[in-house]
Amino acid sequence: MPIVQFAPHSSLVNPSFWHKLTEHKLDVLKLSDAEVPVVASYGTGRLIKDREGGAFIGVNGTFGVDEESFTEGPKPASFLVPANGVLKNYNTIEEFKAADKPELFNQSAEKIWQSILTTKSTKDLNSFLVITFADLKKYKYYYWFAFPAFSPSPPWNISESGWVPASSVGLTAAQLETIHTALAQQVPALPYFLIRGSTIHPIEQWTDEDATSAIVAFIDPSTQPQNPGWPLRNLLTFLRTIHPNSTQSVRVLCWRDTQIPRDGAWKSIYGVVSAGDAEAAAATRPKAVGWELNIKGKAGARLADLAPMMDPARLANQAV
Amino acid sequence: MHAIQQQLFAVREYLSPVLKESKFKEHGRITPEEFVAAGDFLAYKFPVWTWEKGEASKARDYLPADKQYLVTRGVPCLRRATALAYTDADEDGERLLSFGDSLASGDEKDEWVETHTGRAAAHHDSLANAGEIADIPDLEGLNIQDGDADGPGEIPDMDDIPDMEEEVDEEDEATASKPAPQVEVAKDNLLQVRTYDVMITYDKYYQTPRIWLLGYDENRTPLAPPQIFQDVSADHALKTVTIEAFPHSSSLQAASVHPCKHASVMKKVIERMNSSVVAEQLAQQKKDGKKKWFGRKSGGKDGKDAQGEEEEVEGMRVDFYLVVFLKFIASIVPTIEVDSTTSF
Repeated sequence: MPIVQFAPHSSLVNPSFWHKLTEHKLDVLKLSDAEVPVVASYGTGRLIKDREGGAFIGVNGTFGVDEESFTEGPKPASFLVPANGVLKNYNTIEEFKAADKPELFNQSAEKIWQSILTTKSTKDLNSFLVITFADLKKYKYYYWFAFPAFSPSPPWNISESGWVPASSVGLTAAQLETIHTALAQQVPALPYFLIRGSTIHPIEQWTDEDATSAIVAFIDPSTQPQNPGWPLRNLLTFLRTIHPNSTQSVRVLCWRDTQIPRDGAWKSIYGVVSAGDAEAAAATRPKAVGWELNIKGKAGARLADLAPMMDPARLANQAV
Repeated sequence: MHAIQQQLFAVREYLSPVLKESKFKEHGRITPEEFVAAGDFLAYKFPVWTWEKGEASKARDYLPADKQYLVTRGVPCLRRATALAYTDADEDGERLLSFGDSLASGDEKDEWVETHTGRAAAHHDSLANAGEIADIPDLEGLNIQDGDADGPGEIPDMDDIPDMEEEVDEEDEATASKPAPQVEVAKDNLLQVRTYDVMITYDKYYQTPRIWLLGYDENRTPLAPPQIFQDVSADHALKTVTIEAFPHSSSLQAASVHPCKHASVMKKVIERMNSSVVAEQLAQQKKDGKKKWFGRKSGGKDGKDAQGEEEEVEGMRVDFYLVVFLKFIASIVPTIEVDSTTSF
């Protein structure tokens, strides 16, 4: 059976986030490089029809931070999942380069793991880490996001039929509409939920009886037809760790619809995933991965150069 | 010079009085109350739009504190406007546009015919021409294609990024690799999907909505001004679209369509739409008295309710203003799918 391949999160930093970081650095942090709590959000992606070719283009949902991220977080909205994280800002580019990134990442992953074991709640499953260096004089911001996700060995497999449209596996339009309506009322959105029939429940209510009938679902930022989004990884680890007896095989719905489709073509996909080895899922922490790739497709920092949009001299030059 | 000009505009906006009476059918301008009503309607019909409060110190007191401006994030932009290909085959490309069916109540029949569906830039050109936007003095010597107005340093130099690739070793077979570009444009040109955050503010001086754009490339790196201008139709880049300080933030700069001609263009569009809406409402009343969704009375304001429907028709309601406004904006930024009324 093929291995489930998950579409990684894509960070999106609104320029207002850098403005706020600049303020925060000058007024509060000063020379401190202590960790700062930040709140991000992600939602479903979009499928858009190309007006020239007629093909559908998927634009994955992004993992976004903006000016509100330092305070109460993004404005709660349905289908928009808040995620708590930690920002660590360095004072020099050398410190940024020299930071012990494996250790920072390990701490983040450990925090998620401990929250699974101790609180048995899903609230920390999507927490993240971002390290930054702000070159304030040049309006350049170096940053690197990490979205720790557990990678059990052996990995999760998808059944031979692969991921299929939700409406093709017995989920009726009426059921999906009921679920949609219930989800739309969740503000902020429930990142993960349990579907029994056509009602939704918090995922923490999973019992061993759900193994045969219930569907595990989550708000999926991916739009790729055969790749569920990143949040599913920790969700599966969570279920596997807490309910090892009933999660050998899990029915999964990747929720991708923010609107009830006018033509009945639901974008959400469904698949049955199975864990490789029931015994291996004991209390040892699986390996974690999740550093975001840079624009060259390699693990590395990214650069936001805001000089064209912030530098007064350049703006004056541009505004004739 | 630019800074002084911006200060001047700020003062001018501060001094200009708040528009009190409804004039939207007469000259296309709206009051702040109408802006809020139209924004509520837009956000209700198309939930991708949400109200924002912005920075408290920049809040406008003529707007509700939690409804300072509208925003939609992650608006896709598949192609550059400069690369729009027009072909004769587009002449016959017509399709029916249907509004309001996201409500799923099933009985809406407000369909428009969109002609030249392949020619995104062209299907509202009569509207744009009506406003004669092009009569703003032409600025010679600015070539936006190669971005030389701003010098070569615009694209971030990737060598500046510290090389840390070897530090993190993450071999993981369960991580999906970045998908290959899904569509290849003719002439081995790969599709680069940009995304935009689009904001609509209320401009008190011009008494119209005003649109703002913040763009990201396919790697989600913020776009520099010359790159944003690639997504603006050539008639408007650097003339009506400029980079200015976003009014609800103390430091943010964003691309904006200058609103000086919005009112007259909107007036033309509204006149045209209103006559068809009135005709339709009259016909509707004769038939069964059922109201169209954008002619519907919400009650209260004019004291009439559904019982008064046989007396007179109301024409287009101001709630619809922003939906129309977005169609007009779509002619200026043809490849940015701001007009969510057709993309769902």
